[in-house]
Parts: sequence; C-alpha cells; structure tokens
Amino acid sequence: MANQPVFTPVKEMTYTQAVAELESILRMMQSEDCDIDQLAAYTRRATELLKDCRSRLTATDEELRSILADLEK
Amino acid sequence: MANEALTLLELNKRISSLIMVSSTQNVWVTAELSDVVVRGGHCYMELLQKDPEKGTTLAKARAMIWANLYPRIESQFYAATGQRFATGIKVMVQVSATMHPVYGISLVVSAVNPEYTMGDLLRRRREMLERLKHEGILEMNRSLEWTTLPQRIAVVSAPGAAGYGDFRDQLYKNQARLKFKVELFPAVMQGERAPETIIAALEQIAMQSDAWDCVVIIRGGGATSDLVAFENYDLATHVAQFPLPVIVGIGHDRDVTILDYVAKKSVKTPTAAAEWLIACGVKALERLRRIGAEMLQTVADRLAGCKEQLSYIEGLIPSVAGAVIQSNKAKVQSQLLVLASVGSRRISPELARLNHVKDVMVSATKMAIERKNIRLNTIAELLDAISPHATLRRGYSITRINGQVVTSVSQISHGAVLETTLADGMIKSTTNN
Repeated sequence: MANQPVFTPVKEMTYTQAVAELESILRMMQSEDCDIDQLAAYTRRATELLKDCRSRLTATDEELRSILADLEK
Repeated sequence: MANEALTLLELNKRISSLIMVSSTQNVWVTAELSDVVVRGGHCYMELLQKDPEKGTTLAKARAMIWANLYPRIESQFYAATGQRFATGIKVMVQVSATMHPVYGISLVVSAVNPEYTMGDLLRRRREMLERLKHEGILEMNRSLEWTTLPQRIAVVSAPGAAGYGDFRDQLYKNQARLKFKVELFPAVMQGERAPETIIAALEQIAMQSDAWDCVVIIRGGGATSDLVAFENYDLATHVAQFPLPVIVGIGHDRDVTILDYVAKKSVKTPTAAAEWLIACGVKALERLRRIGAEMLQTVADRLAGCKEQLSYIEGLIPSVAGAVIQSNKAKVQSQLLVLASVGSRRISPELARLNHVKDVMVSATKMAIERKNIRLNTIAELLDAISPHATLRRGYSITRINGQVVTSVSQISHGAVLETTLADGMIKSTTNN
C-alpha cells in the first residue's frame, strides 16, 4: 500500500488555499502519476474541501432566516 | 444742498444705470463656485476668484440663475460634466451685472460653458494622479490581492440613505444564498464634509480590518450629486493606501472621480457594487461545482479504466500462459541442443586423451616388464656363473662325509664313505687307506 498523503486541517485554511488545493488535487488525479491506491484518500479530501468551501460561501436555512429577520427590524 | 439729498432708491437707480452698461453685459467670466443654493427655482451662488498659491479670496460676487433658465442650464451642464453646480467647481459663465434697488449688485448668469469646467476638473485630477503616482501610492489598493472571497463588507455611506439599504437587501436576499455580512460606517456623502467623514469612517474600519474582507464606498440614492467633493487628494491617498480592497460606487453613469482610479474596484452605483459581489460568489460556487463534477468524472474514468485493464489482463492470462509454456519448451529444447553440442565438443577430446593415456600406460608397462626381464636374465646368468653347478661343470667336485663338506684330508678317516658330487650326479666311495 502506498503512503497515505497528509493534509492540513480544512479549518486552518483560507478559502483561497482550499480552492487552490482542490485544483491541484484535480490536476493530480487527472495526471498519469496518480496512484490508484491514493485515489480514495484524495477523493475524500476533495469532498471535505468542497463541502467546507460551499458552507463558507452559502448560508444555511437557519442563517438565512436570521438575516431576513434582522432586515425586518 | 443738504435739502437736495437723493433718496436711496434714486441713488441705487443711478448706480444701476452706471453698472448696467454694455461693457458689463453678457461678458464671459471664469470663477469658482461657492454657497450654491436653489430657492424658489432660482439658483443663487457666490462667484470667487482665489489666489492660486495662497488660496485667499481675491474677488467675490453674488450671482444667480433665474428659474426660467436654471433647469436648462443645469441639465446641460450636468449632461456635459457629470457635475451639479456645487462649491469648488470652476466655471466659465456668461453674466450681466445688475443692480437691484433692494438686493444690490449681482451677476445674472445667462449661459455656462461646461467645457471649461471639464478641462479644469481633468487638469486637477491629472495633477492629483501624477502626485499619487510620484508618491508611489497610486496603485497600492489596486494591486491588493483578494485573499478570500469578499463576504464581510464594511460599507461607507450616508446613514438612512436608500442606496445603502438597497445594497444591503440586495446582498442579503441574493438568489444564490451566498452568505454576506454587511455593516454601515456612516459618513457624509456630499458637500465639503464628505472627504473628512469618509476618511474617519475608513480609519474606523482600518482599526478592525481583520473583521472585514473589503470596503464599499457608496452614495446614498437620491442625494444631490456633487462629485467634486470626492475629487480630493487626502481622500484619494486614504483609499489608495487602505489595507483592504476598496470598492467605489459613487461614480456617475459616464463620469468618474479620482477614487475610481485608486480603488481596487470601481462601479457606477450601489446596485452595481452588490451585483459585482454576488457575481464573485456565484463564480466561486460555479468553480466549486465544476471542480466537483470534473473530479467525479475523473474518478469514474480512472476506476473504469482500471477495471477495463483488469479484465483485459484477465482475458490475456490463458493465452499468455500457453505462450509462456511454449516458449519455455522451445527454450529448454534449444538449451538441450546447445548442451549436447557443448558436451560432444568437450567430451570427445577427453576421450581421446584417455585413450592415449591407456596406450601410453600399456606400452610403458610392457617396456618396464621387458626391462625387468632383461635384468632378471642378466642376474640369472650371473648367478649361474657363480653357482657351484658351474664350478662342478668345469670339473670341480664337492666331497661330503655324512653330509659335511670335506675341505681337508684330515677330515677323512679310514673307511669313511665319501659322497662326491659331480656336475651330473653323485658317487659314493669308501676309503681304504
């Protein structure tokens, strides 16, 4: 089994860093060098990054309700 | 004489007649505007001439535009320059001096040359830009990188202005559900106090710059536009050197202010600023969606590729195995042949050598035996030569008595039986003497 890559915790990264890592993972996956054994690890990492980036950008229902409630005041 | 004093009205009429001569009528004059106010449809203002070095007032006159002309003049001026009549603007106006018995001397404006104002604004802005460039701060805000998506937005605007409310609503109610945090840092957005209050608001934001991603400077909607207030060197330096990216939305549809040159991003209206921020977020979401989709496709492709490869290999194994056996057989065969030829090449000489050795050994043995025989014969002959038989054959004999060899006559007694051995036999004789 190949060595599993080590990742920075997503919470410690800026949005820009997270997206840059996503892009580089994608490029790596698309390259011939990508080890099939690591594919799962990278896919998991990418999913985590994507989820976090999206949650940073968009508001949850709860947040939306509170924002709209503030506007009504 | 004292009884013949004029009434004030009469005096004023005289002054009036002196003033209102052709040389003061319909003349073009350049001046700076101040204290512009519109009352009853008429526009009143002060015209100033200042010392360009010291800034002190060298000349001053009251002026007005009558209500019948004001809307046309104002809209033409605005259309051409993007400016309203406001303090600080340099104008070239066509005036006629009048003297009103009650209100005194004032200049009645009949036309304005907007090109002069434009030229002056551009010249002043060019000078400020040169200065900012010379000081190395012109590009500072523009060259800031967006380290993150602008979502926490400090707004500098007039409190209670519709522009700010619309801007905030637009962000909070965006269709993409992008998250925004918006807070107002109030400033006066028109008139002479605009620069200082905007600078104060910027300084307040700068003290908590970690809490914000960018600053948006917008004008409240409906306010009288007077962009000259923003053509301010101090304000420009503050915006240029601000540590966060600044988005400016105070411009006019066509015209710009110096802030549009120094700010990171320049848009025309608060609405446009909000749209731009939302577009940034939508683009970021789109990018994430694209990365996600591409990644999914890549993983699916990779797995499919691997499966295909496996089944291809699987299909190959039987025929490959056969081929391997076949080729190994052939290899063994050819190695056998090689071995055989190597064997014969190596063994034959050895055999020949062994044969030779055998021959040599046989002949050597024969010779050795021969030599031994010859030697034995020689010894035999020698033995024969020195043997008693040979002596006997030469005529000698051996005499024994009772088996004892007789070598002396004294040994022989009377009557003794002598046994004489000759070469070819033995005789017995008895002595009698």
